[in-house]
Amino acid sequence: MSEFGNLLIAGISTGAIYAVFALCLTMLFRTSAVLNLAVGDFAMLGALGVDWLVHSGGLPLVPAIAGDLAAIALFAYLYDFLVLRTALEGSRAREAILVVFFFTFSLSLFIQGVAQQMFGTDVHSAPAVWPGPALRVGQLNIQRPAVILVCLAVLIGAGFASYLRFSLIGKAMAACGDNSMGAQIVGIKQPNYRRWTFVAMAVLAAIFGIVESPMTGYVYNSGGSLGLLGLIAAAFAGFTKPSRAVVAGLSIGVAEAMLGGYVSSQYQDTLLFGVLVALILVRPQLLGEASPVAA
Amino acid sequence: MVDLRVTYGDFVAVEHATFSIAAGECVAIIGPNGNGKSSIALALAGLVARSGTVEIDGVEAPPRNPAWTVGHGLSLVPERRQLFPTLSVLDNILLGCYGWTKNLRKARKSEIFAEALDLFPELGGRLSQTAGTLSGGQQQMVALARGLAAGPKILVTDEPCLGLAEAVARRVYEAIKKLHDEGKTILLIEENPVRALQISGRALRVERGVVDEAPAEERFESFVEQLESKGQAAR
Repeated sequence: MSEFGNLLIAGISTGAIYAVFALCLTMLFRTSAVLNLAVGDFAMLGALGVDWLVHSGGLPLVPAIAGDLAAIALFAYLYDFLVLRTALEGSRAREAILVVFFFTFSLSLFIQGVAQQMFGTDVHSAPAVWPGPALRVGQLNIQRPAVILVCLAVLIGAGFASYLRFSLIGKAMAACGDNSMGAQIVGIKQPNYRRWTFVAMAVLAAIFGIVESPMTGYVYNSGGSLGLLGLIAAAFAGFTKPSRAVVAGLSIGVAEAMLGGYVSSQYQDTLLFGVLVALILVRPQLLGEASPVAA
Repeated sequence: MVDLRVTYGDFVAVEHATFSIAAGECVAIIGPNGNGKSSIALALAGLVARSGTVEIDGVEAPPRNPAWTVGHGLSLVPERRQLFPTLSVLDNILLGCYGWTKNLRKARKSEIFAEALDLFPELGGRLSQTAGTLSGGQQQMVALARGLAAGPKILVTDEPCLGLAEAVARRVYEAIKKLHDEGKTILLIEENPVRALQISGRALRVERGVVDEAPAEERFESFVEQLESKGQAAR
């Protein structure tokens, strides 16, 4: 029983980060139909950046986190302004989906390349935000970062879902992803929503990377696989529903832990992707309902 | 609007278009399909690049700035409606208020929103339904209500009856006429001149991107026949 409980807790903590990545992808897709394939790399950048500022720059933890997040926000803003804006609003806007797919994939590779140069190929982690030994509840071990991750993931997921539902700005964000032309017609400045959502989601992913890294440690290319599972979780939310993205992320984390614990830790990833593919084949509606009319 | 010109690459959609609309007037822009009527609507709403001058109440509108245009009282009900298909009917209409408020509570309690909801009482039972699941006629009603929720001084409706059954088209026209009777300024873009001339006090004819004021005598059947035969010949 304790083994099951510990696996469940491990799964939920890993799932929390998939959940947040899925949330980041969903919110950006909802406002701009852009899939940010570099979301995991922003998490890696957050963790390794704080580690570098603390250990090489000699900064205390809080200023290091603030400086790291400010730098990531500025980088995301500039990337949107210089690259995504050109891709989405320029003369080739009709091919935007393909172009943006290419540009966010390139962004992922670019961040990994820069991170490799700056931080090397060793495993690093940011100092723990809530230091101390694992919490014990009966026979269960709960790592402190996991508590923060799960609480934040649930709160942020519920917060975004409520915001989309109960505010006009939230509805405007949803409208942007639903029909860009329609959004412009009612006076919504969609590029502004896209830009600030891109920046906010990059910062959010970085925060989760900073909090999570003491549990697993990151290398320069860790973001790729984490982002991929976030992408799958977002797909299970139809890229539209933040609360469902959180649930999907947590479920994938738990499934991964259970498969690793009870079936095979060696083939854990292969099995996980096999299960996910089988689920989609058997119940394609899990990916969300397609819009009944073209926008 | 003075010397409006709209181009798509090398193709000139509208050229030297100059006209004005007085407050409370209903003006129709008529002419065969593919001659630049919708491009005029899109340029007025700031949705496509243009040259020339567009003024609303004497204030020059910046090009390609739809938010400014909505904020200064011009609301477009576009061809093919451009609704938000996964959002509810209520949310679609509420988003019409975005041009004048970002506050959901203020929008819901406003008279402008109440008037928009009252325009088509038949939508009352469908407010929570997603817009994408409505029939074409119902979607057109939502689009008109959304346009009205912007609280516009000028309502531009582009082909409001395109693809609708006759009974539904009549209902939509009834609503547009009601808005005009209540003093709303309307610019009506319509391929069907018979229908357009039923409610408009003045007609502008667009042919190959050039706008002409249609002479008064051409408001009668001979004009309609002439336009229709030209349209057929062009096809």
